[in-house]
Amino acid sequence: MKKILVANRGEIALRVMRTAKKMGIETVAVFSEVDRNAPHVRFADEAFCIGPAPSNQSYLLGEKIIGVAKSLNVDGIHPGYGFLSENADFAEAVEKNGITFIGPKSKAIRVMGSKLEAKEAVKDYDIPMVPGIDEAITDVKAAKKIAAEIGYPILIKASAGGGGKGMRIVDDEANFESQMERAISEATSAFGDGSVFLEKYVTSPRHIEIQVMADTHGNVLHFFERECSIQRRHQKVVEEAPSSLLTPELRNAMGEAAVKVAKACDYVGAGTVEFLMDADMNFYFLEMNTRLQVEHPVTEMITGVDLVELQIKVARGEELPLKQSDLTITGHAMELRVYAEDPLNDFLPSVGRLETYTLPDGEAVRVDNGFEEGMDVPIYYDPMLSKLITYGATREESIQLILKAIEDYKVIGVQTTLPFGTFVFEHEAFRSGNFDTHFVKNHYSPEAIKEKSTKEAEVAAMVALKLYFEDQKTIQLPTN
Amino acid sequence: MEESYSIMVNEDHEFQLTQDDIIPMDILKTGENGFHVLKDGRSFHIEVIENNFNTLQYSIKVNGTEYQTSVKTPLLHLIDKMGFATNGAKNVASIEAPMPGLILDILVKEGQEVNENDSLLILEAMKMENSITSPRNGVIQSISVHKGEAVDKKQVLLTFE
Amino acid sequence: MDSKLRTLQERIDQAHLGGGEKRIEKQHAKKKLTARERIAYLLDEGSFEEMGILVTHRTTDFGMDKEIYFGDGVVTGYGTIHGRLVYVYAQDFTIFGGALSETHAEKICKVMDLAMKVGAPIIGLNDSGGARIQEGVRSLGGYADIFYRNVQASGVIPQISAVMGPCAGGAVYSPAMTDFIIMVEETSYMFVTGPNVVKTVTNEEVSSEELGGASTHAVKSGVAHKTSSNDATCLDDIKKLLDYLPQSNKEIPKHKPFELGEEVREELSNIVPDNPNKPYDMHDIINGIIDYDSFYEIHKDYAENIIVGFARLGGRSVGIIANQPMFLAGVLGVKSSQKAARFTRFCDAFNIPLLVLVDVPGFLPGTDQEWNGIIMHGAKLLYALSEATVPRVTVITRKAYGGAYDVMNSKHIGADFNFAWPTAEIAVMGAKGASEIIFRREIAVADDPEAKLKEKEAEYADKFANPYRAARRGFIDEVILPKNTRRKLLKAFAMLEKKEVHTPKKKHGNIPL
Repeated sequence: MKKILVANRGEIALRVMRTAKKMGIETVAVFSEVDRNAPHVRFADEAFCIGPAPSNQSYLLGEKIIGVAKSLNVDGIHPGYGFLSENADFAEAVEKNGITFIGPKSKAIRVMGSKLEAKEAVKDYDIPMVPGIDEAITDVKAAKKIAAEIGYPILIKASAGGGGKGMRIVDDEANFESQMERAISEATSAFGDGSVFLEKYVTSPRHIEIQVMADTHGNVLHFFERECSIQRRHQKVVEEAPSSLLTPELRNAMGEAAVKVAKACDYVGAGTVEFLMDADMNFYFLEMNTRLQVEHPVTEMITGVDLVELQIKVARGEELPLKQSDLTITGHAMELRVYAEDPLNDFLPSVGRLETYTLPDGEAVRVDNGFEEGMDVPIYYDPMLSKLITYGATREESIQLILKAIEDYKVIGVQTTLPFGTFVFEHEAFRSGNFDTHFVKNHYSPEAIKEKSTKEAEVAAMVALKLYFEDQKTIQLPTN
Repeated sequence: MEESYSIMVNEDHEFQLTQDDIIPMDILKTGENGFHVLKDGRSFHIEVIENNFNTLQYSIKVNGTEYQTSVKTPLLHLIDKMGFATNGAKNVASIEAPMPGLILDILVKEGQEVNENDSLLILEAMKMENSITSPRNGVIQSISVHKGEAVDKKQVLLTFE
Repeated sequence: MDSKLRTLQERIDQAHLGGGEKRIEKQHAKKKLTARERIAYLLDEGSFEEMGILVTHRTTDFGMDKEIYFGDGVVTGYGTIHGRLVYVYAQDFTIFGGALSETHAEKICKVMDLAMKVGAPIIGLNDSGGARIQEGVRSLGGYADIFYRNVQASGVIPQISAVMGPCAGGAVYSPAMTDFIIMVEETSYMFVTGPNVVKTVTNEEVSSEELGGASTHAVKSGVAHKTSSNDATCLDDIKKLLDYLPQSNKEIPKHKPFELGEEVREELSNIVPDNPNKPYDMHDIINGIIDYDSFYEIHKDYAENIIVGFARLGGRSVGIIANQPMFLAGVLGVKSSQKAARFTRFCDAFNIPLLVLVDVPGFLPGTDQEWNGIIMHGAKLLYALSEATVPRVTVITRKAYGGAYDVMNSKHIGADFNFAWPTAEIAVMGAKGASEIIFRREIAVADDPEAKLKEKEAEYADKFANPYRAARRGFIDEVILPKNTRRKLLKAFAMLEKKEVHTPKKKHGNIPL
């Protein structure tokens, strides 16, 4: 494999290309018209514009991207996450054109992409599941009946979905219809498929996932867990590895379950098996993400492996250079997703120009970043600016490091989740490890962030007035 | 007579201060533009980024975060009080788009009575459908956008009576 | 020793209170700031230095010797606006209603004299009930002392007047002789004789506001160059205006730093409509040419068929005179000629280059115009522009017909660079009128006179309704694409910066007043 095209943008495109460069592989970037000045375009050896800003006219155009790849004699396409990463048709088309798809086979994508088939596939492996329906549904009336049978609260999920899009929790029957309609509409516009699943909503749940990696020689490894319970709008925002909750026994059990899931669909490459854990430490299989996850760096930090490097090796047909027994957890990693969102205003996207944009640095700090000072945050894509990751010997140390890194991270021009990060990492519930996916709902309010800034603002006001009084005393001569 | 100054910080905090509040401040000069303040035992590191006596605007970094402050003198205060300022506080009379996006759906009609927190429109931005809810009880006077329209940040979407 | 120092402080404190707290409250209740507040807001924070704070009047008649206030109803001194030295006086309505006494006038004269000697603008904030009647002729003398200085200062230092309260009788003539009058809406009025006298003499019932309020003078009489909605915006407007002006006639206005680029403005391409009889807003062309948001319009609501005002072109202060096709097709009339003539003379006196934008179909016809002396008033503009020695550049956007072509800064009367757009029609008159005269016989004998007229009209239009005849003769220096106008003007004014003209020695000309 001499040349890889990365069919993505932002930090993940850069992250993949870095490893490729490290391995002596040439890189090709694709980009939309608004991304001409994006760092991933400049970082790549070759770059091609594939269309206008909207992703359905650029980053989602599989055919066009394959065309670019062919014309440049690309050997492999890495899809990153999002966009085409879990599109089985794309994976298939790539392979048909004689190019290696750096990811699982299209069959595995298809199976795990459909919740129904996924459940069917793992049925014989004795994997625990959350109660719910086995087939996707679009009929609101019928769904309402089923919901009543399962019992509220109910979780509505897009069957083709991911990333929280098309997902709704319904607390009682009265809201069911309107919420389901929204979920269908969101799913339709995001994935082109409006069908949804219903399942029992587990209260006080933790979201814990297992990183797996399989080669074409029948080896499947797991790389332990990631704790992703801190979410807003059902999207992860803080992740860590390892989880403070798991015992070695539980970790093993979950790891083995994850390996079974991967085996169930003849998985190849990097994947993530997501579990829900209830208050009694029972875990349920949620779904398998057949791609490299946003939060993969925390796993890399504690295991010392480069997951993208392994992906490429597996794609080249090599055997995994590790055995399960080689893998151990060392230290603790924290990650904050830095989104251009306003934590004071319901995490609404905050669009604008990055007037100031300075990243923190330090030995234990890793920033997977896709932006530069002076750039606009485009409205067309996910508003994530970067991922801030720290690594410490202990959980406590890693938290302290990330708090300091947040302080050093300067963004002016858009609101970000950085202050929210500070809130989380300073919060008693997070520090004690006693939290679930409702952390935001239960503990967070914009006032908490405001109060802190109010104290600082008051000091700023006092200093300003003092400076004013001093300026007032200074003589000012008129000039003609 | 102790004259009161009001200091606006980042356009969302306002503090009323007098000279008496400033005199006892525990502030230590640590560099050309650096200060250290102790307030209620808490430590604040200050860096003065910009001071403009002419416009009465001071940009001050406190513990690494930059704050834009503007000093309102008693005279400017009086001018405000006499109603000379052009933009005073107003009751929410219109809904503006909180971000650029696409109007996916309009859930209300002109003349319709709405309650606080009722969904008014669905705005799609960055792949998310955001429900724009009513900030107050009232009657919709006019809707200035239509379904499928792309709107800019701060564009007026609808107005209240 | 201590007590001596204390006495001073006590006096200053007392002076700062003006006519006392009750009267200050009353002033505020009338939506008016006090004289000291106005000065504090106008000038840079802390820059004001007061002169004559301890002056008191010398009248003893009618018990006046018992009513003594420090400052005597006017606050005078100097300070800075954006760092620039200015002299300022503000009448204090809280002391004797701001009535002008001999000493009050002396204070004003003192700062005017200094402003003249130093060469810096003077700003007067008027808020006075009139003469101090108890003083009789001494007060009248005070007025005249000010008038005389206004005239001496005219054309030497910029004089700006704000009318922020009453200004009646003889008092009006001081602002009238300054360069600019800004009036505050609703709280100010100016008239020579008030509503009571008007009622007695002419039996007309009229309110002060109607007779001499801000909008009256802004729209009807043209006495006010600008109106502002309140005290604060009025003072803001003074600051903005001052920005375009030099300190004195010895200087040119300060250039604002400006970073130049390509300076092509595509938006200028589509403003002039295809149909020559269709109006358009000349403001769009002005804004298309100048630095964004830099237009400061003078006499906005008066004689709207011509636009005058200051703007910046690449940071350079310029005066703009432009016909406005939106009103009366942009013709020159009595009022518009006067308006433009006065503005021209101000710019010329203070070294502000002139840009003239032309779309003029001629002079306004009619008995009203002729009987009111359009000949004399039109001559004022012709005279003023011919006389002006500052850099003068013309852009003809569309019509330049007849005598009005000559008047509107034509090459013949001394303009330095004359541009025309391809849409320009430089001719003696419009095609229709011209054909009717030239081909009168031919049309009369034609089988179909209508059709013949159309044919001849087209022939004339083809020949003359363009800028090329004039360009061939050199009356137009260059025909340019609209989008390049700003670019061309930036270069032309830079080229003309050191322009010098030596006029024949004379005492002064005799402009047809």
